[in-house]
Amino acid sequence: MVDHLLQVKNVDIFYGDAQAVWDVSFYVDKKKIIALLGANGAGKSTLLNTISSVNQPRRGEIIFSEKSLVKLKPEEVVAVGISHVPEGRRLFSRLTVLENLELGAYPKNTRPYLKESLDRAFNLFPILKVRKNQSAGTLSGGEQQMVAIARALMARPILLMLDEPSLGLAPLFVSRLFETIQAMNEEGMTILLVEQNVHQALEIANYAYVLQTGTLKMEGQGEELINNSDFQQAFLGMMG
Amino acid sequence: MAGFSSFSIFFQVFINGIFLGCMYGVAAIGLSLIFGSMQIIFIAQGAVMILAAYCIYWMVTLTSIDPFFGFFVILPIFLVFGWAIYKGLFQRVAKAGKNPSLLLAFGLMVLFEHLMSLIWTPNTRSVTTSYSTSAFGLWNINISITRLIVSIVALIATGFVFLFLKKTMLGKAVRGVSEDMRTAALLGISPSWISSVTFAIGIALAGVAGVATCITYAFDPYFGFLFSLKALIAVAFGGLGSVAGALLGGITLGVLESLSSYIISAGWADAVAYAAFLLILVLRPEGLLGRRSAERT
Repeated sequence: MVDHLLQVKNVDIFYGDAQAVWDVSFYVDKKKIIALLGANGAGKSTLLNTISSVNQPRRGEIIFSEKSLVKLKPEEVVAVGISHVPEGRRLFSRLTVLENLELGAYPKNTRPYLKESLDRAFNLFPILKVRKNQSAGTLSGGEQQMVAIARALMARPILLMLDEPSLGLAPLFVSRLFETIQAMNEEGMTILLVEQNVHQALEIANYAYVLQTGTLKMEGQGEELINNSDFQQAFLGMMG
Repeated sequence: MAGFSSFSIFFQVFINGIFLGCMYGVAAIGLSLIFGSMQIIFIAQGAVMILAAYCIYWMVTLTSIDPFFGFFVILPIFLVFGWAIYKGLFQRVAKAGKNPSLLLAFGLMVLFEHLMSLIWTPNTRSVTTSYSTSAFGLWNINISITRLIVSIVALIATGFVFLFLKKTMLGKAVRGVSEDMRTAALLGISPSWISSVTFAIGIALAGVAGVATCITYAFDPYFGFLFSLKALIAVAFGGLGSVAGALLGGITLGVLESLSSYIISAGWADAVAYAAFLLILVLRPEGLLGRRSAERT
């Protein structure tokens, strides 16, 4: 593992006085799908928010392409090449689909590619072209997730972070979503995937980290984890 | 008014209400924009308006330049003024939460009011020109030329803001931030930059409304607070976050006041306006044109 794109090293994260994450380290390598797994409240979203600088770690380092992210503002993290699709999609529901996508290309260095990026987004999700003048709030959950992902891609990221993309989607949409994630990865996108949908996440992930109440419990490749009895007990049993 | 049929009087009152309402509307759009980015009612909006009115009063009395030229003077100055107020005061205070910002806005209002009464005395002023009283008749009603032009300027200002919000990347970012500041930041939009832009535009619109006020009405340093309240009511009528709604809300309010002072009596105009405000808040809190905010998952 030489080619670390993102390194999270020994981070402690607090909400006020309450510690949410204890001494967590993990790595994301170029062109891989890395999964962060764990139950609700394990600290997965907290970690993504800290990479995006929405939260600041109290201790530890976060390095992306040899550049520290810790002191950046959230709006500056996008410019270094990290796009974050937040949990619950968080579209601008009163704006149209097209306007949501356009705002995805807001950073100065990505604006010149707006047309090209739009074409790519509509290629990836053709239904969005049909819906482009609808306000985003009127779309179905699956379509909203497509807009959220497409909007994040408009910034031409190197690393795409997806927080619970399958949450609240119909099973059919979920498998299509995972196919899309895999397809994006095959085209060279590095993906950091936070999921409670353990089975499907492990099927597409190259490597996974398992969090439990704010600490890193295990890590490994999909097969290894699925066959690990501790892992089975902790997650697969619970997840059915 | 002898010779006028009651219908033309009614129509006259209606038109006057529309003129008044256009001014409420412009002030309301500024209020609504600032609310969108900072989540506070900028209560000093009316005081800023009157400040612009006094600036023009000065310009006209000292240099006898035509007051309509004041729109071109006030617009750039107040854009910078709004920007400076945000950068110098609100940007810092906003970090501490909404309440300190609200207090700051209240403090600014009191400061502006007293400064104005120190500089220009608390006496009522008005700006008059050779054509202030000119009017032309149309279907038996009198249309004041100054009020007509002022209303057209108000509509043009609204149109520009509307186009800015709909057509430019910056304008779309303003709408995005007003809906979800944190997500906007994740997309690379700096909330403090957007807030400074909206503040500048909001204050500039207050300036435009102020110029319009001084051309058409008499004013004193404390007149602005009433305007802040009226702008707030207009925003509540139209629904927060909608430019067209704020303008239509303002016009509705103007017409309502005008009609009630004609039908009942002038003293009742404010009472009717506030009663309508309460009714809207109870029955349709999202405003007459507002959409119920979409469910978030």
